[in-house]
Amino acid sequence: MLQINHLTKVYGEKRAVDDLTLHIAPGEIYGFIGHNGAGKTTTLKSVAGILDFDSGEILIGGKSVKDEPLACKKQIAYIPDNPDLYEFMTGIGYLNFIADIFGVSAADRKSRIERYADLFELTKDLNQSIAAYSHGMKQKLAIISAWIHEPKLIIMDEPFVGLDPKASHLLKGMMREVCTGGGAIFFSTHVLEVAEKLCDKVAIIKAGSLIRSGTMDEVKGDDSLEEVFLELEGEGVEK
Amino acid sequence: MMLKLLIKKQLAEIFRSYFYDAKKNTRRSKTSTLLYFLLYILLMVGILGGMFTFLALLLCEPLSEAGMGWLYYLLTGMIAIFLGVFGSVFSTYSGLYLAKDNDLLLSLPIPVGAIILSRLAGVYLMGLLYSAVVSIPSAVVYLIFNFSFKAIVGGLMNVLLISVFVAILSCLLGWVVAKISQKLKNKSYITVLISLAFIAGYYLIYFKAQSWIQELVANAALYGEEIKGKAYFLYLLGRAGEGDILPLLLVILLILALTGLTYLMLSKSFIKLATSTGNGTRRVKAMRSAEQLSVGQSLLKNELTRFTSNANYMLNCGLGAIMLPAAGIAMLIKGEELAAIFESMFGGERAGCTQIIMIAAVCLMASMNDMAAPSVSLEGKSLWIKQSLPVTGWQVLEAKLKMQLLLTIIPAMICMLCIMPCFGGNLAEKLLALIVVILYVVFMSCVDLFLGIRFPSLHWTNEIMPIKQSMSVFIALFGGLGVAMLIGGLYFAFGWRIGLTAYLAAAAVIIAALSALLLGWLKNSGAKAFEKL
Repeated sequence: MLQINHLTKVYGEKRAVDDLTLHIAPGEIYGFIGHNGAGKTTTLKSVAGILDFDSGEILIGGKSVKDEPLACKKQIAYIPDNPDLYEFMTGIGYLNFIADIFGVSAADRKSRIERYADLFELTKDLNQSIAAYSHGMKQKLAIISAWIHEPKLIIMDEPFVGLDPKASHLLKGMMREVCTGGGAIFFSTHVLEVAEKLCDKVAIIKAGSLIRSGTMDEVKGDDSLEEVFLELEGEGVEK
Repeated sequence: MMLKLLIKKQLAEIFRSYFYDAKKNTRRSKTSTLLYFLLYILLMVGILGGMFTFLALLLCEPLSEAGMGWLYYLLTGMIAIFLGVFGSVFSTYSGLYLAKDNDLLLSLPIPVGAIILSRLAGVYLMGLLYSAVVSIPSAVVYLIFNFSFKAIVGGLMNVLLISVFVAILSCLLGWVVAKISQKLKNKSYITVLISLAFIAGYYLIYFKAQSWIQELVANAALYGEEIKGKAYFLYLLGRAGEGDILPLLLVILLILALTGLTYLMLSKSFIKLATSTGNGTRRVKAMRSAEQLSVGQSLLKNELTRFTSNANYMLNCGLGAIMLPAAGIAMLIKGEELAAIFESMFGGERAGCTQIIMIAAVCLMASMNDMAAPSVSLEGKSLWIKQSLPVTGWQVLEAKLKMQLLLTIIPAMICMLCIMPCFGGNLAEKLLALIVVILYVVFMSCVDLFLGIRFPSLHWTNEIMPIKQSMSVFIALFGGLGVAMLIGGLYFAFGWRIGLTAYLAAAAVIIAALSALLLGWLKNSGAKAFEKL
């Protein structure tokens, strides 16, 4: 589903991502963890086609993000760490806009919006201007918009930030549902307990380089993910 | 210290595009910054300042000789206040209450007063920029005829006091708009309507001003006595400008008192108005099944929604959409009369001048629409949406271009059709006139979008910055004006020799060629530049 091969992105002197290689198969929830500034957002933005990268290749469904950006973007949905949505639009206006861009039929979008808006208890607020939304409401709207065209790959940067416990629980269920249907999820998080329980595979990035990746068992063994992560970051915890 | 920091931030925001190249994500070189400032000064001082220097020269000598320097200062002072308020009032509401960093600043241990004062500094600066183009030339001209130490002090104080008074008036009007906006559903349209009424009043006064000034100067002694008798305070205002110590002190005290009162009023309501997110009523509506739109239609709708939901955007970049049909209706009523005046002035050997003036005037009004210029910057922090969607850079730019074309070509054609009965000329000239106007709109839309891409400013905290204070809008506004005047001016200079038909045909070919070049750039390099922003 997603192949990142030798990805390198340089900002001036700094190598934000350095020769990163990751493969995500259909049906996998792939967690991406690392310190602030480790290169997670840069990687996710490169996969989403927002950020140009210096070398390496990213393939989505076998298509290159560099050579066929539109074909790749049609298969994915991206949710950034801070959902800066169009504040001049209403919630429903924004969802219709995204549905139009992905060519979702009127009937399909209606049923999907109804389903997800009801799940997230956002139906009453869809006619409100996004400017009046709280951070959590914007995050819920961004999630609904990502799910509206049933993408094969969903890329999320810190998706649980700002969500209430119920919405977080719902999101986890929705993520699993995507993977059961043959899709894949690639997301970053600082909540290691969530990653440990939810992810099939996990990758740890430090200073732009991948320091460990694999199935959850391969990465953490008998320890907790938190212990492994802190040890790899050179900040081991005392047991 | 805190206030200094906040004012520094406010000023850095206003002048950011002069120091920072958003496209390259680097600081501009000192030469580049200097050139931008010089260009700005040239336009403000050279064009607007020059115009008001001329007016001051006309007024100052006769009034000074008649010993009525105070009347001169009163007149120029009122013009400065009028221009200052008109220039800054539209940005005051958003500048004071709608800044994106209001929540952030209010959450920090900063006294609310310091936040308000820093916002006021921005309002003051806008008012100063506009009022000074009248008040500085009028003080300089006064000194030419009445040089003395007293006159220097009076002139300087006049510039300062007028700018403060302008800021006070702007703040009060901004406060009224904020209060009204809190209670309204369709805020943007209501704000536009109120502002249009204000603009109509402005132009009414503007057009009457010349005859009023002439009348006043011709009967200066009579009106002077009237003002002294019935509005002594106005007399004192004029005397303060001359540097008379007692009136000057009185005016300073008055301005200080007004400043204090305004500050008190603003600080009392600031938090409530700045953190208001509307009436907050939840409207539960049945979900309408939205009609599916194509990608192009959806992107265009997105641009139009942004435009119509933002009063500042509509007022600063879309006034032509209203002015053009309004001018057309005016021409239906007064067109014949006006055409006869032009004909008597420019007819004879230079045939076609009446027609070219009409064409240039329509182009001039069309140049008031420059919504494509700030449209790239307005993407701001939401830019990730369009960059992550399966749309090309050109599709996004095309929607921005289409918005300006749609909102300008239709009003321009309405205006042109209204002008046609009094246009004169033959069928070919009429058709070519329509074509030239359409091509002008296409060309300027491309130029505006080009400027939008070349001078993007995505990191703003107040939408007024890309809409009003950005380099792209600044050049677009004066560039549009320049091109419209060039179309008219070249005909007066040389074009009349080849005749109107040939001139219009040549203009059409040149503008079409330039538009095609720009369109080519936008489709390729422009689209790539947008994708990499």
